[in-house]
Amino acid sequence: MYNSKGQINAFSIRLIRWLCQEELVEEIEGNLIEYHQQVRDNPVRFSRLKYWFQVLNYLRPSTLKKFKNSTPRPMFIFNPLHTIRSLVKQGASTIINILGFSLGLVCVLFLYFHIQSELTNDNFHVDKEKIYRALRIANPETNPELIGVTSGPFAPALQNDYPNSIQSVTRAMPADALVTFEDKSFIEENILLADSNFFSFFSYPLLAGTPDQVLAGTNDAVLHKDVARKYFGDEDPIGKIIRVDNQIDYVVRGVMDDMPARSHLEFDMVLNINFLDLDRWWNNGLLTYAKINTPQEAAYVNGQLDQFMVKYFGEHFETNDFRMTLELEPLTGIYFHEGIAFDRVRHGSMNTVYILGAVGIAILLIACFNYVNLSIAQSFKRAREIAVRKVLGGDKNRLTLQLLGESLTVLLFASAIAVGLTLLLHPIFNNYFQLEVVLNWSDPTLLIFGASLLMLTLLVAGLYPALLISSFDPVKILKGGKSSSGKNVMVRKLLVVAQFLIAIFMIAATLLISRQMQYIQTKDLGFDRDAIVMLSINNGNIRNNLEAFKEAFADEPDILSITAAGGEPTGFHDITLIELPGEPGTKRINIGWGDEDYFETFGIDMVAGRSFAQNLESDEGQTAVINQEAMHMLGFTLDDVLESKAIISSWNLNVRIVGVSEDYNFSSLKNQMEPLIIINGLSPRRIAFKLNANNLVSAMGNINDKWDQFSPDYPMQYEFLDESIAQLYENEAKQSKVFSAFSAISIFLACMGVFGLATYTARQRQKELGIRKVLGATAQQVIGLLSKEFIMLIGLASLIAIPTAWYFIDQWLNDFAYQINILSNWPIFLASGLAVAGVAFLTIGFKTYRAAVSNPTESIRYE
Amino acid sequence: MKGTNLGEFEELVLLVVLILQDDAYVLRIKDEVYSQIKRNVAMGALHSTLSRLEKKGFLASEMLGATKERGGRRKRIYQLTGVGKQVLKDAKEQRQMLWNQVPDYAL
Repeated sequence: MYNSKGQINAFSIRLIRWLCQEELVEEIEGNLIEYHQQVRDNPVRFSRLKYWFQVLNYLRPSTLKKFKNSTPRPMFIFNPLHTIRSLVKQGASTIINILGFSLGLVCVLFLYFHIQSELTNDNFHVDKEKIYRALRIANPETNPELIGVTSGPFAPALQNDYPNSIQSVTRAMPADALVTFEDKSFIEENILLADSNFFSFFSYPLLAGTPDQVLAGTNDAVLHKDVARKYFGDEDPIGKIIRVDNQIDYVVRGVMDDMPARSHLEFDMVLNINFLDLDRWWNNGLLTYAKINTPQEAAYVNGQLDQFMVKYFGEHFETNDFRMTLELEPLTGIYFHEGIAFDRVRHGSMNTVYILGAVGIAILLIACFNYVNLSIAQSFKRAREIAVRKVLGGDKNRLTLQLLGESLTVLLFASAIAVGLTLLLHPIFNNYFQLEVVLNWSDPTLLIFGASLLMLTLLVAGLYPALLISSFDPVKILKGGKSSSGKNVMVRKLLVVAQFLIAIFMIAATLLISRQMQYIQTKDLGFDRDAIVMLSINNGNIRNNLEAFKEAFADEPDILSITAAGGEPTGFHDITLIELPGEPGTKRINIGWGDEDYFETFGIDMVAGRSFAQNLESDEGQTAVINQEAMHMLGFTLDDVLESKAIISSWNLNVRIVGVSEDYNFSSLKNQMEPLIIINGLSPRRIAFKLNANNLVSAMGNINDKWDQFSPDYPMQYEFLDESIAQLYENEAKQSKVFSAFSAISIFLACMGVFGLATYTARQRQKELGIRKVLGATAQQVIGLLSKEFIMLIGLASLIAIPTAWYFIDQWLNDFAYQINILSNWPIFLASGLAVAGVAFLTIGFKTYRAAVSNPTESIRYE
Repeated sequence: MKGTNLGEFEELVLLVVLILQDDAYVLRIKDEVYSQIKRNVAMGALHSTLSRLEKKGFLASEMLGATKERGGRRKRIYQLTGVGKQVLKDAKEQRQMLWNQVPDYAL
């Protein structure tokens, strides 16, 4: 072959040198060079090709380099085979390991999905970084209180005053109403009244209609697809006309799809807001949103809002000695911002997210520790195998890889099972924890999370045993000596302590939380909560005929008492300002409305004076009952409080105090007792019935019949008081459930770890025990001997777990004004320690008993 | 070790090595095979046959004779061992014996 200089192709020579056996290279090269010379001297066709044919033809098994050490590759290639072989050989313990791990992973996966859906709230809005909500702050200097609602004029005024910063504004207001289409009518509770630009301002998905058109007209409506199906079946909803509250007709212009993630607004029907009176500054109830391009501009606007409020409310502030400011809150912060008054949006609890995250990590740790303990216990059976491998030249790194490969296989198996179990248990989980977790497997962050979780657990759970086992000294093992040093046992004991610690912590926390929940549910609130049902006064037919409606039940034996009220105990109480005639200064007070049967229906005791009198015209809007707290706040005593006068200017009321009630817990037990005034007046929102608890069903039937007579158009909406009270503690109840479920799992997993350690110990000391028995020890003594160290481990774990749990629960209880005393619940800590100890002993007992009663000849026969 | 039977190509190679005597190295063998019986064999193929024969003990080899046209590289000169010669003779005799029994009219 020729190149330009007639030289031999250098690459072909390099190829030969690289691939062929060194002792053959000289000869082959020589032949090729000579061949090359020949061809150069007697040119033939295709000489270049022919040369290469010779070169390549030299590359054959007889000439190619042999791989230096033929062991590594086959071992690597057969790795999976070895792995599966050894896993199958370990049988039961492999299954325990895989199942234990899957169980942990199921919890982690489920919690991941839940937390993920909580944290991605409102992230689907295109302009999520630019959207802000207006919050009012009452009494910013003295006693700041955030208020979620604003009135109609805020939005246009904001846009007018800051045209350069604020791109656009929109308003929305949650509502409920009766919606009718032909013969179908339902009370819709998730209606949103919204400005025409609502769908272009936010990015809620539409199946039909264009975002800037669907609400353009004053009578336009958008329905969620499920709601549309409810009314129109399979017909096309677009253009259909629905009637709202039997008054206004709306035309359906668009259909909404499911939201891609959680949102702080929850609605399935949107109506154009224009029929509301939106011009009054004091008519609050709207959510006001503004879109601002950059955070800098938002900060600028935020700084100007004090002046904005003075501009529009200055007069009012002066005359009423009252201050209020405005603040723009970023959209992404709304969902977790709890504790805002009159907040009509959906919230999640960041606290719960933290707790669930911590629980997930704890479970994962337990599962990892378990894996470590079980596989080290298992390593014993493999000590000889490892030793033989090493003697035959398997080197340490490769053994480590092999063992890591086994861990990875177990992990992958476990993950597959976990995914299956998660799918299977998903509805049960959701139901039990009352969550709406959606399994979103296509989420790319899940992949990253899953992969990093796998790598992390592989490192945490796989690396230590792999390193430990592969570093066994083959000589010692084959001689029959110990295969592991004291240091390793120490590490494993620490792992078990950590597991016990988590388990004890979980049990103590669970017990204390459920104790608190029980306390809340059974605490004497100062009023009756059983067998009270409340109907919403949702239409004029009832509102205008209240007396007649109440009268209709006069003869019912199962209905003990009826009251029309605005603000039932634990229900919504407005906050207003009260002052005494002739005295300067106003004070904050909670206000409610009740009629003459209010205190009787709710079983509230009077301390002094009387309740409202029936049919006493002079009473209505004129008389009030206050609680003891209010009496103290206003500076009265039981002797001088009755017949005193008080002024509530915002309601134009000048009332006479006719009675003082016990302090009853009219709001959640998370709050301290506050002053309260109940006015005998008619601003009722609900009718409460005290029923005969033995005949609830028939009483409810009666009420429903009468309701239909009075208000045939409107379905009856009712709620039992004890249930609505329970809703106050929904978050805590969820947390309590989560804790009890996961503490059970953590105990189970921890016991598996203990089982592993017990197996290890019993085996390790087999000979010693045999000799002890030969020398006369009884089975009990042997069991005692083996159990002693576990007592110490549990003791150590308790020592750390109890203060931690104490601290945690103390923080958790901070939310409650009324709480249990942790100190007086000390038996709970004792009990959790003992419970863990008990379960651990059962587990250990199973193993040690066998070791203790076994025939000593079995264990000391071989030496 | 494989049996002492010779394959057709192996027998051919042994004979060529015997003919070439001190000049029996791969390229020369290849050329000889081509010029005598018009068979084009790759050097690689020859190499593996030769080393197989060497493994069977029919051939011995030695690195000798660096020349200029080989870029100073030595060549591996093959030589028949006693066993090799014996096997070759046996093969020839077997054939001869068989040939002798073929009746004249059969061809």
